[in-house]
Amino acid sequence: MATLAQNPALSPEAVEQIVERYQEPAWLAEERRAAMRSYQAQPFPTSRDERWRYTQLRRFALDGLERVQQPADTSVSERIRMRITDSDAEGVLVHKGNEVVHREAAIHEQGVVFTDLRSALRDHEALVREHLYKVVNATQSKYAALNAALWENGTFVYVPRDVEVALPLGAFTTADRGGVGLGRTLVVVEPNAKLTYLDEFTSDPFDERLFYDAATEIVLKDGAKLRYVSLQNWSRNVAHINKLRAHVGRDARLESLTVSLGADAARAEVECRLDGPGAESEMLGLYFADKGQHFNQYTLQHHAADHAHSDLLFKGAARDASASVYSGIIVVDPGAQKTDAYQTNRNLLLDAESEAVSIPQLEIGANDVRCSHGSTTGPVPEDQRFYLMSRGLSPEVAEHVLVTGFLYEVTSRVTLPKVAEYVERVVQAKLGVPGVREKL
Amino acid sequence: MTDVTKADPDADGLQGMEHTKQYDFRLPETYFYRSEKGLDRRVVEKISYFKQEPEWMLQFRLRALEIAEKKGPPKWGPDLSGLRFENIYFYIRPNERQGTVDSWDEIPEEVRETYRRLGVPEAEQRVLAGVGAQYESEMVYHKLKEEWEKKGVIFLDTDTGLKEHPEVFKEYFSTVVPPEDNYYAAVNSAVWSGGSFVYVPEGVEVGVPLQAYFLLNAQSIGQFERTLIIGAPGSKFHYIEGCTAPAYTTDAFHSGVIEIIAQDNSQVRYSTIQNWSHNVYNLVTQRALVHAGASMGWLDGNLGSKVTMKYPSCYLVGEHAHGEVLSIAFAGDGQHQDAGSKMIHAAPHTTSSVVSKSISKGSGRSSYRGLVQIHDGAVGARSNVECDALLLDDTAKTDTYPYIEINEKTAHVGHEATVSKLDDEQIFYLMSRGLAEDEAMALIVRGFLDPVAKELPLEYAVELNRLIELEMEGSVG
Repeated sequence: MATLAQNPALSPEAVEQIVERYQEPAWLAEERRAAMRSYQAQPFPTSRDERWRYTQLRRFALDGLERVQQPADTSVSERIRMRITDSDAEGVLVHKGNEVVHREAAIHEQGVVFTDLRSALRDHEALVREHLYKVVNATQSKYAALNAALWENGTFVYVPRDVEVALPLGAFTTADRGGVGLGRTLVVVEPNAKLTYLDEFTSDPFDERLFYDAATEIVLKDGAKLRYVSLQNWSRNVAHINKLRAHVGRDARLESLTVSLGADAARAEVECRLDGPGAESEMLGLYFADKGQHFNQYTLQHHAADHAHSDLLFKGAARDASASVYSGIIVVDPGAQKTDAYQTNRNLLLDAESEAVSIPQLEIGANDVRCSHGSTTGPVPEDQRFYLMSRGLSPEVAEHVLVTGFLYEVTSRVTLPKVAEYVERVVQAKLGVPGVREKL
Repeated sequence: MTDVTKADPDADGLQGMEHTKQYDFRLPETYFYRSEKGLDRRVVEKISYFKQEPEWMLQFRLRALEIAEKKGPPKWGPDLSGLRFENIYFYIRPNERQGTVDSWDEIPEEVRETYRRLGVPEAEQRVLAGVGAQYESEMVYHKLKEEWEKKGVIFLDTDTGLKEHPEVFKEYFSTVVPPEDNYYAAVNSAVWSGGSFVYVPEGVEVGVPLQAYFLLNAQSIGQFERTLIIGAPGSKFHYIEGCTAPAYTTDAFHSGVIEIIAQDNSQVRYSTIQNWSHNVYNLVTQRALVHAGASMGWLDGNLGSKVTMKYPSCYLVGEHAHGEVLSIAFAGDGQHQDAGSKMIHAAPHTTSSVVSKSISKGSGRSSYRGLVQIHDGAVGARSNVECDALLLDDTAKTDTYPYIEINEKTAHVGHEATVSKLDDEQIFYLMSRGLAEDEAMALIVRGFLDPVAKELPLEYAVELNRLIELEMEGSVG
């Protein structure tokens, strides 16, 4: 069993350095100190912890890593430029290390705030203070505590009541040096407001190992609507953990998509709590592990209120001695009557060395509910492959077609065509479809 | 147990009262030997001494005790904080003659009275293959129909099995569930007493079910039966075990280990419906080793007990082995039924199927906890799991925790679960046809359980239906 070692670089002194460097307000300094105490008090997860049971913990080790501060250089890579152009984003932030290296903000709607968290603390302190740490906090996990104590920058989005932001906003996080990177995102959508947001992690390969610990807090007030895409396509020298959690108010709707394609090992925790009647959460997930990658998805659909609806579909494939883990739970609180909650996980195993684990779980405390979950794991259907080959396709091409088709059930439900297209392209590049590259 | 509070039972209530009387009984306690409370080396040595066991068994028990002490109880699953070993007698031998008796008349009147209420003699009249019944920790009655004896079928209590068939016993004992497996298996291995020993020789088909009853009848005794069932190649039989326990004032503990070896091309079924009183902790390890071409079926009914943790498993180790679990659970007020299954596919073309139906009522909670594991090289393995949960009222709870681990590309694995409540429209329809509300509910519940109940022999299906009716009493209003 792997045990993870404490890292002296991630200490109370580091908290004080940050507080000092940015002259942070007292309330935030206190929050950080409390989070650091919580971080130090919590043991590292072990394979005996139910939520981490199938996680290859060594691949998320922190020891020997320094905190990432300054990037090696502050230029914006070709890769990021392409992604920005391709994403249709109206507002763009590019994070690299603790710096914002690029900023485009042509937002026309009144009162919308889209900036880095550091600037937001300066210009909108009250708003940040009201919401920060309210959704993702240090008590939730060792890694959430680390982020809460030591984040240096991140993104803040605020959409005022009744405002609809027409075009997507996007934050792109990249890196060019190893260490422990920590980014935090806070998205607040006020009543009846509407937003589409793209959160992307990508990099060109570099030599050192990077551990990236992301935390994303989403607050959807009554009637708010948010489309949220989290797209992870790091280079293979990165280990990535992202805790994404949303509190969804009455009649609010969250459509989330979590994509895991890059990194050496990645763990995506996607959680929503439905706080009011009529709240809706659609949770889509897509992962494709190859060349020894290890992907871990943990989901929570927490029905804290009655008459809420959640629908989850996570699909993934694994090949070349890779491993994917899906573990998700629907929790229906006592009294959350008339809940509709669905959860589906489907896995495709493309070779004998790969492994898929699926743990779809239910904890139901109310009786007047409609809840179901389903999980399937299997190879590419032989009859379908046979059919395609009888039509003249080579075995490889038949597999490409069938894997793309398998994942299409997710990509076709993504309401952002450019994102769906990009994801399909990366998948095809991973499959080795001739002539397809990630288009860099 | 059933709560019958009607002071002035009307005609409808009377029928229920009779059922209650029939199952809710307790006879005076008379003992030959009772161990000290708690579990330690002396208790284990005394058990072995009183049983006049061979040295290897004593050593096995002591080793198991060490393992249990090292392991400690599991940290997952239901709340077991009410279970305190220091309050439990780990061995009690009843004041009856040891060993088997040949005819029903030799059984003490007191015990026969107990069985009469359980309906065992009637069951025997219905040409059951044999009756082995465990009264507390020792087998007291045993009979096997002569025709099966002639074919070489062995059906004994486990203690006698150890004495009379030491070679077969030693070859298979603890090979399926070693004491290292889990804490409660280790405890059982240290203090086991009684259970059934079944051997069905090559090619023999036993046409009617082999049947044994277990019951607990003293306060705070642990019952640690150890059942070892061997189906030789090509054999075919059905073993049934039923449990009904009277109500007690302090918590009792039941922790059995059931080991089954289904050799090549055999067909073995094991059915059990437990109805322990609602203060029993029922923590059982049931496992079958299923060899090439063999088929193993578990039917697992959990109606009684305070907490049950029981996950019948099939280790499919030979090509084309097949495993099946049909599970029903009823969690009434204060009960937690944590049941499920494990299917380990370790050979090519193995198949498994799990159907679980659970019902929760009042403060009851039923959980399905399952594992499907497909090992690398288990080419073409297939597994399908279905879990349906029915919630009878708005305080009942249900959980599903399936674990699916797949290391084989050609495997097909599916899992599905649904949760629903009693359908108001269905109840309304049945009531419009003249049924009372509780009858309508009972009918729907029986229909929900039907896919499992129909796999049972008739007399068991009848008993199951009666028990469900008892549990459903007081569901209305």
